[in-house]
Amino acid sequence: MKFPRLAKGLSGLKKFGVAELVLLVSIAILVVVVAFPILLIFWNAFTTPEGKFNLKDVVTILSQPQTYEALWNSVVIAAGVTALSTVLGVFFAWLVTRTDLPFKNLMKLLFVVPFMLPSFIGAIAWKILCSPRGGYLNVFLVNLLGLEKAPFNVYTMTGIIIVETMYLFPFVFIQVSGALERMDPTLEESALISGIDLFTITRKITFPLITPSFVAGALLVAMYSLSHFGVPSVLGQNAGIYNIPTLIYQAIHASGGSFNAIRTGTVLASLLVLAAALILYLQNLVLKKGRYQIIAGKSMRPMLLKLRGLRVPMLVLSILYIAVTVLLPTVIIFLVGALKTYGLPLKFTNMTLDNLKYIFTWKMTRDSIKNSVILSVGAAVVTMLVGTMISYVIVKAKVKGKFILEFLGMLPYSVPGTVIALGVILAWSGKFGINLYNTAGIIFVAYIARYMAFALKSTSASLEQVHDSLEEASRACGASHWQALKDIVLPLIKPGMISAFFMIFFPALRELTTSVLLYGPTTRTIGVAIYALHEDGETVYATALASIALVIIVIGEIIIRRLSKAERRNA
Amino acid sequence: MKKRLLMFFLVLLIIVSSVPLTFAAPKAKKEKLMVYTSMKEQLIGQIRDAFVKKYPNIQFDYYSAGAGKLMAKLATERQAGNIMVDVIWTSEIPDFYQLKREGMLEKYISPEAAKVVSPVKDPDGYFTPIRLGTLGIAYNTNYIKTPPKTWDDLLGKDYADGFGIANPALSGTSMVSVAAMVQNLGWEYFEKLRANGAKIGKGSGEVVDDTALGDLKACLAVDYITIGKIQKGATLGFAYLDKILVIPSPAAIVKGSKNIEAAKKFIDFMLSAEGQAIIANSLTLPIREDVPIVKNVGLVAPEEAVRRAMPIDYDWVMAEKTNIIDQFTKIMTK
Repeated sequence: MKFPRLAKGLSGLKKFGVAELVLLVSIAILVVVVAFPILLIFWNAFTTPEGKFNLKDVVTILSQPQTYEALWNSVVIAAGVTALSTVLGVFFAWLVTRTDLPFKNLMKLLFVVPFMLPSFIGAIAWKILCSPRGGYLNVFLVNLLGLEKAPFNVYTMTGIIIVETMYLFPFVFIQVSGALERMDPTLEESALISGIDLFTITRKITFPLITPSFVAGALLVAMYSLSHFGVPSVLGQNAGIYNIPTLIYQAIHASGGSFNAIRTGTVLASLLVLAAALILYLQNLVLKKGRYQIIAGKSMRPMLLKLRGLRVPMLVLSILYIAVTVLLPTVIIFLVGALKTYGLPLKFTNMTLDNLKYIFTWKMTRDSIKNSVILSVGAAVVTMLVGTMISYVIVKAKVKGKFILEFLGMLPYSVPGTVIALGVILAWSGKFGINLYNTAGIIFVAYIARYMAFALKSTSASLEQVHDSLEEASRACGASHWQALKDIVLPLIKPGMISAFFMIFFPALRELTTSVLLYGPTTRTIGVAIYALHEDGETVYATALASIALVIIVIGEIIIRRLSKAERRNA
Repeated sequence: MKKRLLMFFLVLLIIVSSVPLTFAAPKAKKEKLMVYTSMKEQLIGQIRDAFVKKYPNIQFDYYSAGAGKLMAKLATERQAGNIMVDVIWTSEIPDFYQLKREGMLEKYISPEAAKVVSPVKDPDGYFTPIRLGTLGIAYNTNYIKTPPKTWDDLLGKDYADGFGIANPALSGTSMVSVAAMVQNLGWEYFEKLRANGAKIGKGSGEVVDDTALGDLKACLAVDYITIGKIQKGATLGFAYLDKILVIPSPAAIVKGSKNIEAAKKFIDFMLSAEGQAIIANSLTLPIREDVPIVKNVGLVAPEEAVRRAMPIDYDWVMAEKTNIIDQFTKIMTK
């Protein structure tokens, strides 16, 4: 030993080993990055600037009509989106897994594509298509069918619910189609042999078996929709429809950023956290109740329902659905992005490449692309590494007090992006010695807090698959703790870490909800730049930038698919 | 136990202190200048290009957004104690009086200031008008065939369910316009507009874009934004009414600016014949009489604008700002 005294000192602290140190570091990171900003929100909501407890203001804010109207809107939108997403998700999931629909594998892939399309870009596209008087689709249909009035008005609650559903329903689809695939088909077959009709089988066997997964998917949709900013803000504000996140945005941006505005924001944010916590609680309740082990059956071929005469109509329906929800908005974004000026008919003679050229020469838009790329790569790397460390402690380390970590690790799941943004404003704009306001740093910190949940989920899942005996065996053979980690554990969980990276990288690249509250003069992200251009009445530039963003996202996804395929082949 | 606690704080300290180190921006020697403005890229972009060409040593950056947002940003920066802006340039004149009263502005009388012709001037030199914005009616030519002439025209059938005014909480131009209309036409006028189906839009640029698409038939619109789009071929027309809204856009240096010399150079540049020519060429009115406007694009001549201008009592506007916005919102969302 080179440092006998130190070693002696350390062994004196027998209880305080490496595990404890890592635990403490992990707790510290989560406290500083996640818990502290959220606590500040509650603190701010319930105290006066002098630090006295204050419930009066909270009651005043909550009793304002605009607050409960926004709360009501949030709830109605979330309920509508959840119901609609569940119906669509379950139906399409059933269609691609349990019927003899043609091109099933391709369709399965296509149904997940709406995930790639940022929902606020979708909302802008639908605004362009279906705004009540001038929308291109409305005008087209009026001229085609000789209608008196435009058929669609997207500036309504129904409009918001439908558009949001288009981009959120894959949550349910993925969950349910996964469950249907893993389900043991012999259960249904034995019922069938016993002479039970298909309807009863579906009702009594299939449906109960997939209940946990579709409830999980539905609650995910509900949580996401409740705190969703993009779609309600693009489609709702013109009609005076606010939900809680857009009301927070309005409070922070329109009324001078005063203490009262921030207070209003924090009270509303507290509401959001409570609602999200409630949903999370329900989700746990359902998942606990429904641990249907039967689902974990080996992949057997389930019997397929013969659609017979419905085969082609169902295929057409699915293709139409994809065409309307994915293709149409994407195409309109590209076309409007090429228009000489907004409002011209979509004719080739009205098209130009000047907008695209302009986007690449304009410092603001160029910076926004650069900022988004740097921030999302940075946040993905840091969050993935820290997340791996924390997951390791939660899953593997035998150390007291890790329940604190488990609790803290749950926090980011339930905290919406708007809330995190407010929290980091309160925490990192100088009041506690660190001032990141207006810098890229504040967005970076917020991204880490926001996406920690993804990293924890992905890395802990792959850590759980690494059996303790592997590590123990290497230790028994004389490897040090570090060696065991480096040579055994890390290589095994590498795929999990890589998937964590991309699970953070892509959402961060197109992020809007958090950065729209945090951006400074030189730190716009792509999402903010598109949103601001649209809000400033530069629709053609907004859509031109959006089409560039879509190209980046699609190319990125393709590269990843290629990479992960190659990885699998090598393995 | 004690050591464990000590360790904990040590770790905490390391983490906390490493955060700002990583993100502190590298300091450049170059002179810097940050302008917050409600002018659109179309206008501020050209000024930046010319200014940077003339002063290559100044690293010029700007942040363009609605006046409401800019003030919110400034207020948050004040609270955070980290003011990033050097020059603020919007059309929300009450804000300048307000900032001046709060001691937030730096006094500067430009040598060029004597040539300024404007209904609004600050004799103490805390802010200087840079351009004379005018507002007219932008209308979609698919829906409206005869350009409006009077304010009462907007109450007619042609404009039913299709007239928009930008949200005064977001847009400074809209805020001052609404105030001027209240003073000259009364709140009854807004009641009538609303009865005819008029609505609140978002920013002053977005209402023009919505009109170009045909979603609005017409809107209260800023001169250069509308004419710029017409020149690109938009299906828009632009007309001034009997009484014209003429709103100067002042600029001021923010107190605590770390780049006062660059800020002064920028104000001088904007007021110079060269800067004013750029402003005029962006299809709005210059603030100096010796700089010609762009002819034959539908822009009103400065003398005529001043003659037909709605008088505005800025003291009243400043005192009543929040009430005006609240009342307007109440009527227009009824």
